[in-house]
Amino acid sequence: MDRRTVIKNLALIIGGAALLPACSQDKAKSKVALKNIDITADQEQLIGDVAETIIPKTTTPGAKDLQLHLFVLKMLDDCYKKEDQQAFVTGMGHFADQSKKLYSKTFDQLDTKTREAFLLGIEQEGKAEEAAAQKSGDEKNAAPATPPAGKYSPELKKFYSIVKRQTINGYTNSKYFMTNIVVYELVPGRYNAHFPYKQKQAV
Amino acid sequence: MANLNIDSVKERTFDAIVIGSGMSGGWAAKEFTDKGLKTLILERGRDVKHIKDYPTTNMYPWEFEHRGELPMSVQEANPIVNRCYAFGESAAHFFVKDAEHPYIQDKPFDWIRGYQVGGKSLLWARQTQRWSDFDFEGPARDGFAVDWPIRYKDIAPWYSYVEKFAGISGNRDGIAELPDGEFLPAFPLNTVEEYFRDHVKSKYKNRYVISARCAHLSTPKQIHLDQGRVQCQRRTICERGCPFGGYFSANATTIPWALKSGHATLRPFSVVESIIYDDKLGKATGVRVIDTNTKEAIEYYAKVIFVNAAALNTNLILLNSKSHRFPNGLGNDSGVLGKYVAFHNYSAHIGAEYDGAKEWTTDGRNPAGGGYIPRFRNVYKQETDFLRGYASGFSAYRYPERSWDGVGSSLKDNLANKELGPWHVGSHMMGETIPKESNFVSLDDKQKDTWGVPLLKMNIDYDDNDEKMKKDYVEQLTEMFTSAGFTNIKASTDRRAPGLDIHEMGGARMGNDPKTSILNKWNQVHSVKNVFVTDGASMTSTSCQNPSLTYMAFTARAADYAMSEMKKGNI
Repeated sequence: MDRRTVIKNLALIIGGAALLPACSQDKAKSKVALKNIDITADQEQLIGDVAETIIPKTTTPGAKDLQLHLFVLKMLDDCYKKEDQQAFVTGMGHFADQSKKLYSKTFDQLDTKTREAFLLGIEQEGKAEEAAAQKSGDEKNAAPATPPAGKYSPELKKFYSIVKRQTINGYTNSKYFMTNIVVYELVPGRYNAHFPYKQKQAV
Repeated sequence: MANLNIDSVKERTFDAIVIGSGMSGGWAAKEFTDKGLKTLILERGRDVKHIKDYPTTNMYPWEFEHRGELPMSVQEANPIVNRCYAFGESAAHFFVKDAEHPYIQDKPFDWIRGYQVGGKSLLWARQTQRWSDFDFEGPARDGFAVDWPIRYKDIAPWYSYVEKFAGISGNRDGIAELPDGEFLPAFPLNTVEEYFRDHVKSKYKNRYVISARCAHLSTPKQIHLDQGRVQCQRRTICERGCPFGGYFSANATTIPWALKSGHATLRPFSVVESIIYDDKLGKATGVRVIDTNTKEAIEYYAKVIFVNAAALNTNLILLNSKSHRFPNGLGNDSGVLGKYVAFHNYSAHIGAEYDGAKEWTTDGRNPAGGGYIPRFRNVYKQETDFLRGYASGFSAYRYPERSWDGVGSSLKDNLANKELGPWHVGSHMMGETIPKESNFVSLDDKQKDTWGVPLLKMNIDYDDNDEKMKKDYVEQLTEMFTSAGFTNIKASTDRRAPGLDIHEMGGARMGNDPKTSILNKWNQVHSVKNVFVTDGASMTSTSCQNPSLTYMAFTARAADYAMSEMKKGNI
């Protein structure tokens, strides 16, 4: 993707938010103007690395090309409750600590495989807890199940789930994706109620 | 000075005043101006000009700052309207925000409102079915509310009249309980919708699945082109306002038509505080308006007044129009004004999957939304332990299932998956509710809004009949789905407050007897012959059809009658 497209996408992602001009940029601040949360440039970098692990650059653009980490921050700032925003910031700290604890390295020092394994571990623990909660909800009159003591704090899992959800949201609703991968038609002009479809053979 | 005053009164005098510019008010304005009557259209909200004032209509998903979601601050500030399915980043500007127009919920009621020229006609779901005598005879047969003063034959020609102008697509299905109309070609049912249609037909007597009839120009006729509208482009983002005029809204259709005549004056930012009644003359002489920008009170005068402010606001205006002759609200000799308010029960849904028709899908989008199942309960005779029944939506759809599990290039592949999953089917109930004296709105005697108008108090609730009907819907649809071979059937009911159906009706009902109703068979106030109510407030019962088409027909019919009475000198 060329620089011009990146800048254009950036403008779309940030919407009306002001971009701080690069020359006067406070090193400690995030690139995107935020109203409700304080994010440092380092934290923004971390979110960018997590987003890039979720949607990596392959033969097609990845999270960083599409500036999805800035979209994540925009959504966090505007569309989440205060307690979620606080959990996110706390969880981000836990995330950085966990990386050091598990791998003795910061997340940005890890190779892709390790990054992926780390994220999948968090995701799986969150999924297991959801399933357990679902199960206890299904069993009438059962005492609420105490969640198994997990490796990761609830805040860390909240941080990860917001980054993941909004990275995917930003990706699948990006101009790039909607004009190249799954094309969105603003004006279909047609409704064919019977359209032949060839199911691929099950592998 | 005196001359100035006379001139000023002259300037504020019209042949007709229409309060409200939405679904029904637009029709009143069109009918009067068609016949050359000098008409004032009052709208409490801002003007919304067709196309020009649809800011989001041509936006792509990625052009919305939050990709369609509303900021948390907006959601938290608007718990009521936020429950409405269409309240999102693309259409929030057409909805009333909770804090702007408070009301009092003695019982929970989600009052969804659109205060602008066009009203909620910009936002509606565009489903249009006629009533039949099974509906108009309902109260008399089943012993609730009061008898409707009209029957199907009285309104049928007016249905035809408004259908031709508005543009309604549908099939002539030949079903007695859902009379056919003047239709443009229907949007077809898809493969699985047709499968279910055929299955239901073979297994059940008097149950039908038809293509939903809707206010879209599937193929426009000359009259629609004359309105400046063109063919519906199947975009299905109608709540943003349609630049093609592909669906019926007052903004695209009746209001510009009325303005083009040269006989209409449109005055937005005009809250009607009350209707002025002259004890000596024994009739209404005009309306008292508060300009929402200047807070100035201004009086306008006319020979005839149509009240089309939307059901509950029409009640509010009438209740607040007090005079020596009518101390309890205009035309309220009977004491029923504000009472017998009813709505539609939308509180159950059912979804399932269908393992078949894998070689078929759809292409493009269907603005009609799919199929419609007319009421089949208690139609010909009483057969359950609850009164009346429900219509149901029915649609089938399939889409590529895109797992969000995992990370990395495999996740990217999943998100790009174009391989379709199985067919899904879904239905929601649309139940008739029984109007009762205990379901009412009234004015608060202390609290007023910014314009000095008393706040409306809501006392509207479900009853046992609704609960039984909801249960029956779940049972019947589950059985129909099961027998059609649908799998993974999941029915759900919710505890939503009344109002979210956005079909509130009644309060100034029609009836034969002035002792038990507010309006006569012409939608004319029994005791104030030059005031008419033709919006949802006039409804004696609710049926289970979507009501807008019926409001349009009542309005055209009442306007015609009012003009003939004016000619005769009776008004």
